[in-house]
Amino acid sequence: MDQKYSFLEKIGREPSNLIKGLQAIQGAEGYVSDESITAVAEYFGIPEVEVEGVLSFYAQFKRVKPGRFKIAVCDGTACHIKGSVQIQEWISSALGIKSGETDKNGTFSLETVACLGCCSLAPVMSINGRVYGKLDRKNTIKILKEYEAK
Amino acid sequence: MSDAKIKKFRVGVASCGVAAGADAVLELLSARATVPVEGTGCLGHCYAEPLVEAVLEDGKSVFYGNVKADEKSIENILNLGEEGRFEVPALRKAIEKVKVLALAGRINPTDFDDYVAHGGYAGLRKALTMRPEEVVNEVKISGLRGRGGGGFPTGNKWSFLAAKQADEKIVICNADEGDPGAFMDRSLMESAPHQVLEGMLIAAHATGATKLFIYCRAEYPMAIKHLKIAIDQIYEHKLNHVDGRELEIIVKEGAGAFVCGEETALIASLEGGRGTPRFRPPFPTDKGWKGYPTMINNVETFGNVPLILNEGGAKFAEVGTEGSKGTKLFALAGDLKYPGLVEVPMGTTIAQIVFDIGGADRDSVKAVQTGGPSGGCIPAELFDTPVDYDSLKKLGAIMGSGGMIVIGRNRCMVETARYFLSFTHRESCGKCTFCRVGTTRMFEILERITAGKGTEEDLALLEELGPKVRAGSLCGLGQTAPNPVLATLRYYRHEYEAHVKDHCCEALECKALVDLFLDQSKCVKCKLCIKSCPVGAISDNFVIDNAKCTRCNSCAAVCPKHAIRRVKKGSN
Amino acid sequence: MSIEFFLDGRAVSAEPGQTILEVATANGFKIPTLCRENRISRTTSCFVCVVRDKKSGRFLPSCSACPAPGQEIEVTSPEVLDMRRTALNLLLSEHTGDCEAPCTLACPAHASVEEYVRAGRKGNFLESLKIIKKRIPLPMSIGRVCPRFCEKECRRNVYGKPVAINEFKRLAADLFYDEYMEELPPETGKRVAIVGGGPAGLSAAYYLRLEGVAVTIFEAMPKAGGMIRYGIPEYRLPKSAVLDRELEHFTKLGVQFEFGRKLGDNLSLDELKQKFDAVVIAIGCWKASGMRCEGEELVTQGIDFLRGVIENDCHAANPGKVIVVGGGNTAMDCVRTSVRLGSGDVNCFYRRTEAEMPAEKIEIAEAREEGVKFHFLVAPVKVEKRGDKLVMTCRRMELGEPDASGRRKPVEIPGSDYEVEADTIIAAIGQSAAIPAGVPVSRFRTVEVQDGTLRIADNVYAAGDCVSGAATVVEGVASGRKAALEIVTALTGKEFPPEPTINVSRGKWQDLKKEDLVFLRDNVSEADREKLDFIPIEERKSTFHEVTSTMPKERVMKEGERCIECSCTDKHDCKLRSHAECAGCKTDAIKGGKLPVTYDTRHPLIIQDRGKCIRCGVCVKICKEVVNKTLLSPKKRGFYTYVGTAFDKGFPASCGECGECINACPVGALDWRNKE
Repeated sequence: MDQKYSFLEKIGREPSNLIKGLQAIQGAEGYVSDESITAVAEYFGIPEVEVEGVLSFYAQFKRVKPGRFKIAVCDGTACHIKGSVQIQEWISSALGIKSGETDKNGTFSLETVACLGCCSLAPVMSINGRVYGKLDRKNTIKILKEYEAK
Repeated sequence: MSDAKIKKFRVGVASCGVAAGADAVLELLSARATVPVEGTGCLGHCYAEPLVEAVLEDGKSVFYGNVKADEKSIENILNLGEEGRFEVPALRKAIEKVKVLALAGRINPTDFDDYVAHGGYAGLRKALTMRPEEVVNEVKISGLRGRGGGGFPTGNKWSFLAAKQADEKIVICNADEGDPGAFMDRSLMESAPHQVLEGMLIAAHATGATKLFIYCRAEYPMAIKHLKIAIDQIYEHKLNHVDGRELEIIVKEGAGAFVCGEETALIASLEGGRGTPRFRPPFPTDKGWKGYPTMINNVETFGNVPLILNEGGAKFAEVGTEGSKGTKLFALAGDLKYPGLVEVPMGTTIAQIVFDIGGADRDSVKAVQTGGPSGGCIPAELFDTPVDYDSLKKLGAIMGSGGMIVIGRNRCMVETARYFLSFTHRESCGKCTFCRVGTTRMFEILERITAGKGTEEDLALLEELGPKVRAGSLCGLGQTAPNPVLATLRYYRHEYEAHVKDHCCEALECKALVDLFLDQSKCVKCKLCIKSCPVGAISDNFVIDNAKCTRCNSCAAVCPKHAIRRVKKGSN
Repeated sequence: MSIEFFLDGRAVSAEPGQTILEVATANGFKIPTLCRENRISRTTSCFVCVVRDKKSGRFLPSCSACPAPGQEIEVTSPEVLDMRRTALNLLLSEHTGDCEAPCTLACPAHASVEEYVRAGRKGNFLESLKIIKKRIPLPMSIGRVCPRFCEKECRRNVYGKPVAINEFKRLAADLFYDEYMEELPPETGKRVAIVGGGPAGLSAAYYLRLEGVAVTIFEAMPKAGGMIRYGIPEYRLPKSAVLDRELEHFTKLGVQFEFGRKLGDNLSLDELKQKFDAVVIAIGCWKASGMRCEGEELVTQGIDFLRGVIENDCHAANPGKVIVVGGGNTAMDCVRTSVRLGSGDVNCFYRRTEAEMPAEKIEIAEAREEGVKFHFLVAPVKVEKRGDKLVMTCRRMELGEPDASGRRKPVEIPGSDYEVEADTIIAAIGQSAAIPAGVPVSRFRTVEVQDGTLRIADNVYAAGDCVSGAATVVEGVASGRKAALEIVTALTGKEFPPEPTINVSRGKWQDLKKEDLVFLRDNVSEADREKLDFIPIEERKSTFHEVTSTMPKERVMKEGERCIECSCTDKHDCKLRSHAECAGCKTDAIKGGKLPVTYDTRHPLIIQDRGKCIRCGVCVKICKEVVNKTLLSPKKRGFYTYVGTAFDKGFPASCGECGECINACPVGALDWRNKE
């Protein structure tokens, strides 16, 4: 196995840890590459095609490299009611990307997620895990600008 | 200015607090205060986040709500100023019965001693003095039913596992709180992780379990962190040594699949595979994780267990209704004044929760949705219904895990149903025909209707498919997915018909059926709307070209005079 | 300890662990299932096998549910059958493919087009002919005159010209028609009289003979063939070289002919009914429709004109300046015959525009090449004789709203009348059946038959144009066959399988792009359509020689390489199709989006066509649990779930082509690429 995946050694080799292994890969690289699938398959002794089958089942796993800033717009019920669709459209038009896409510079990637569990602050989004609540057009655009400047 | 002396500060830094900026408040307050400043869990008053509690020497507390991380606000708090003080609304105080959440926001979630100092692990200690079957019996007496939504009597479930003879017996805490709009479990795990774990350890003693899993959504990083810290502390204090067995407690992170809330899918996922459910029987208590007898309870269910042991099953059962005992946590959100987490006795009416606690405006509420995408809506006319498992079922809704979304009169019920189906059909695992194809077809029909392209045949097909998808799906996801559609069709059929027959969305929510209208008499010609429009649909003389307009509402959002509004398509 | 329970009220017993499906099957119940495969662990996916627990009303997948003592299970209650139908309808709604090739479906006779084209492509035209004759007993004629319904639906239309399908029939028949002699079964002793020796009558006779029924054809004219002899001009269908040769075969098959016998004239229906076991009335449409304007008696009827020329061996006077009124194929036959008789001024008048003309485009084009002039949006108002000339008053028209046929209705323009002069005016407006007394007439002025059948009453049947109204040869042939099979069933009790009712389709080619098509073979030819060779234009205009010659074998074979082979590899044993047919499903009962077309033919022997997959996962489990290889896995989830290989690179070298996954696939999602 490639040295760069040696961190897998910390995880037990039993196949029930497959998801944990994939989460470790994504944690390290931001996504799951073909190469890392091969490494994971070898490590756990699971055929590559099954590893793919498992990871493609779960929404968490990304197969393409995300942007530096990962925007997740919550479309949970509360956020939806509070207009998350519009939040997403505003972000889409500001960045020129749709949900599931990464912008050309690799700065932002945008996705819609089921629920961030901050329903009372709806509508919310998270950028690299940091949650922003009570969004409206103005503060959403402002937050994006702040990140863009980083 | 008060003379009272401040003993310490607590700042609510659960996820929603942080989202509101509590971490910055904590940081600044720590820098300025001379007394200890603790990060604590969630008090449930999300609308008032960030929330700071000044604990006084005399045992009393002063709360500050919506605290800003600036010098002025912090100074005010340090001086116990009058400004920005927060009081729990009196109506809420009268109705609420805080038992499960008693420690949330009162303790430092990652401090073992703090938990113990507040009575933590007394329940476990007591349980260990009892024989396992006595503990099971106590839980049976309490009348506790599964808080994940199913409402299966917890004591019975425990007795099934207890009766099994096997090398390994598994207890799983289902923390895959996937219902969009529900955050009770997150809050409890973040604010009092030991309480959940204590419940699990009691269960392990009662059932003879050898291995404990917590299957938690990866979207809850703080909950996972707090649980892991708590587990380390449990190992350290050897609390995982139960009846001579050294229990392994493992936190497994879900990876984003709603269907994994279903028992058999959760087990498949825990085994490292695709989270697809399988036909039951065999039930997990017969054949679960890796074939071992397995029992799954929800976070809130486990959270109740220490209380039962502490006060006794009979005392526990004094609260609640005939069929539903104890209290229930609800995550209140949507169109109301005080969104947040509440704990009320079973049997409290929806009206009390929505109006008295949530502060929703009686005239502007249309319905509530309970049970998230698996549940149904309950129209305001029926708000006298008590919340318990059986009453809600009768109305075509379900208790669910406790999400309660208030839907205002300005919401379209067809769009609401479409939204839920967009969720469930995406989350279908794809294994069985009725769910995979049936929910997709239902979703497509709702898309057509909200786009003004629905037909009466579409309505008929929805009504035909709904019950069949319910009856013919393999697991709970598909079996409940039609509920939001069937419930809205039951109570708001006229809205569906208006979309289909008159191409009219009364709530003006469905984009395809509305135009944007700029009221020239209100317009002050500030041009903010023109600047905000992403498609250049507003002319220099302030007329909206609805052929170009994408109904994104950017203009209406920026207009200082509220001169832009939605109107029925073609009405101006 | 066995478990006693009830299936549809019948007491049965199960061993512990047995599923309801297993017990039901052992007890003679037929429960459909797609995803149950006994060698692998249960998938519980398709839910086609549902049964119902009577007490709770719950539906259970019988493949996975085990019975409880005393449980009452409904296996065939209406509710159960309805659920199964819905499950199948849902599966059909996401199914992308073509059960049958669109050419075959378009053929009124349901000839197996793809199959005879394939045989021809491989140079086996005898095989091709055998396949054709299963549905088309007149391949020499139809190979020349068919309007080619098949080619109009050919998927090659998506990019370029359709496969020249008809040339396969023409060549196969030209090569092997005389040689190929069907094997006839022993005589049944049954005798059938057929009134009318046109395509429908001949076809009925043919298929009756193949079932051992004796046939006598009563024909009013001196020779057999009906409209293909007396209506279709020599230059399209040579009579002695082609038609006589084709009809000779019927005598060889033992068909008796009695010529000059006309029903109601010198032939009595009552007598036929008594003398024969059954009678088929196939008298065609020989009555021309009038022009319905003043002076219409001055006008020659198109079919009379054509028949006159044919009966006179293509000898007739030069008609002078000709106006033919009408836009159908008969009108084209009239104008082109007029050209050949020496007229230098032939005109076609049609009240709509060229786009609405019912005539074949190729006929219009060929007429134009031969110098025919077309006048659109004009209708006759009056015909009168002035001296030795005919004068027709015409009125200009414009197109209005679409009528019942979907074509835009011509509307008169007031005050637009004008006159034209001609020596001959021919009306080719339409034809109807001249129905003799004693035969019931429908409101469409055709022979009335019982719903869904071709039976009139008692032992009397009807077929062809007299039932349908004037139609094409291939439709007549299809109708004749249908009547024959109905009669055989009535006389002998032999049943014939009905045409499949479930035909999933990728859609009309007009709505498809090349990416939507599935290419089973790697080397589908990109070449242009092979063109027919025409005789020189001067010869065309001055003689009645056949306009085109039969395409040589090499070129027809090459043309066959253009065939995409649209039909499903699994069409004969697809479980989805057969269960859906039994359950009375409809492919469009539930409509909705489908997955984009993705198929994999990287393996030389195997095709994986995801659009057909029902996501049962049987292939995945067979490969893992039986073959011990795990080369497949479900990927993604929900509606977008598909079965893929590692990195979607296709079957790896480690695949031993054992075929287990293919055999286990209930549909055509995994199959051998070779259709034979």
